[in-house]
Amino acid sequence: MGNMYNLRQLEELSGGMSEFVDSMIETFLEHTPSQLNDMVKAFKEGRWMDMGNLAHKIKPSIDLFEIPGIQQTIREIEKIGKSGTSAPDLEQKVMEVEKILNQVFNQLKNR
Amino acid sequence: MNLFKVFLAEDDEFYGKLLRHHLSLNPDFDVELFTSGGDLFNNLYKRPDVISLDYTLPDMSGAELLRKIKKQYPEIPVIIVSGQEDITTAVNLLKEGAYDYIVKDKDTKDRLWNSIRHIRENAKLKTEIDRLREEVNLKYDFSNIKGSSPAIRSVFKLIEKAAQSNITVSIYGETGTGKELVAKAIHYNSGRKKKPFVAFNIAAIPSELIESELFGHEKGAFTGAISRRIGKFEEADGGTLFLDEIGEMELHLQAKLLRVLQEKEVVRIGSNTPIKIDCRIICATHRDLTEEVKAGKFREDLYYRLLGLPIHLPPLRDRGNDIIILAKHFADEFAKENKMDKVTITPEAQEKLMRYHWPGNVRELKAVIELAVVMSEGGKITESEINFSSSNTIQNFFNEKGTLRDFTNKIIQYYLEKHNFNVLEVAKKLDIGKSTIYRLIKNKEITINK
Repeated sequence: MGNMYNLRQLEELSGGMSEFVDSMIETFLEHTPSQLNDMVKAFKEGRWMDMGNLAHKIKPSIDLFEIPGIQQTIREIEKIGKSGTSAPDLEQKVMEVEKILNQVFNQLKNR
Repeated sequence: MNLFKVFLAEDDEFYGKLLRHHLSLNPDFDVELFTSGGDLFNNLYKRPDVISLDYTLPDMSGAELLRKIKKQYPEIPVIIVSGQEDITTAVNLLKEGAYDYIVKDKDTKDRLWNSIRHIRENAKLKTEIDRLREEVNLKYDFSNIKGSSPAIRSVFKLIEKAAQSNITVSIYGETGTGKELVAKAIHYNSGRKKKPFVAFNIAAIPSELIESELFGHEKGAFTGAISRRIGKFEEADGGTLFLDEIGEMELHLQAKLLRVLQEKEVVRIGSNTPIKIDCRIICATHRDLTEEVKAGKFREDLYYRLLGLPIHLPPLRDRGNDIIILAKHFADEFAKENKMDKVTITPEAQEKLMRYHWPGNVRELKAVIELAVVMSEGGKITESEINFSSSNTIQNFFNEKGTLRDFTNKIIQYYLEKHNFNVLEVAKKLDIGKSTIYRLIKNKEITINK
């Protein structure tokens, strides 16, 4: 399976500084898994507002790593969360984001 | 060049690092990242040039932190970066003093960059304005009014007193004595120096335009009033309005001016709404206003309203050695401005300057000296480079020192030059013997160099 992320934007932004790219990947791997866990937990506990806020925090990393398929999904979770109510396909969306992000975490750890 | 210090408060480390890196790509920015509001607040002693705050920080809200910053450091611009696209929140934050409100999306980093760049450009402009203002202050410092004669020293004392208060000042003096310079010295040494100094010369504006120039007008108030225009009183708000040649104002306008001064408010032409004004008035004239009042040309009530602290500027001819002090000052200043070598004024040239009547006062002296500097050679201004262009030559002639014989020789010399050194013609014109002229030439009392 090919990479589920693309470092193009990050490399472009780095201006050729590979340390910056490494540092951002490190920060991503350090903070995003716990944010993802918290988001899933908030979903399971019906804390929609917290779930939305966490989705909002995860969103920039998904955009920056150009993770396909979930850039729109994370926005929908954020929107649903901020509306304060659930939605019929919310569970499917949360699970999708969790699954893909976990794959990205593994790929980045082993790159 | 100093780096532009940027403080970022962002609790999301990933996003914070991203913004910090992006802004740091500008080599002029020195970016410091904080993950809590408290941490940022405790570092404000470093005096950042701009602060960017995330609206939702773990220890306090962006609004709360904004209020704290503005209370202690109101001059530091604060940008709020927020995930909320809530107009009310944005408007409230802007009302509380935020410089900008940026919604978090994929363009945030570019918007933040632009906003900080604008702030930096404004800061540079402000620094430039402060520098120019300081330069102007120095230019109109008391020390730039040159002279040490008793006449000018008493003027210095009055300028100082005027600058320390808000009293209306009336300046009297012949043309060219430096009335505007004194008005500026008062303004730029007073508490109003950071506000505008607006000069308005009543003699230079057609009388039918004076009213709208002074009080302003609304759009359509009269033919040609294509847009609203504020008047000089409003323009000088908080500062000083210098009304030059007040003696030239027509009576019907004097009545309107008096009303404005009494009520401390103006009504623009074409409007009924009075506008409060706060400006100090300094007026000047070359006329004797008491005589104008007696002649019914100037309103007595306005005269007393404007009199305030009267300052009489002495004519240059009454200022003795100030003529030389000023001449040297003008010569130095002109040489410096034109990147020329410093010039000295010979004793003979100084004597010539002292003998002259100076009907155009300091302004005329400045013009004479500047021309002399241009014409000078070898770093010296000699007598021949001092040329007066005043039409008042008879007065100047009588102001010269000399014996009857000196004056006679001067008259003969003048006629010789006028008649192309034709001795016979001059002898005939002046009804003197040609041998008298030849004797004077022989004795070198007059010259026939063409």
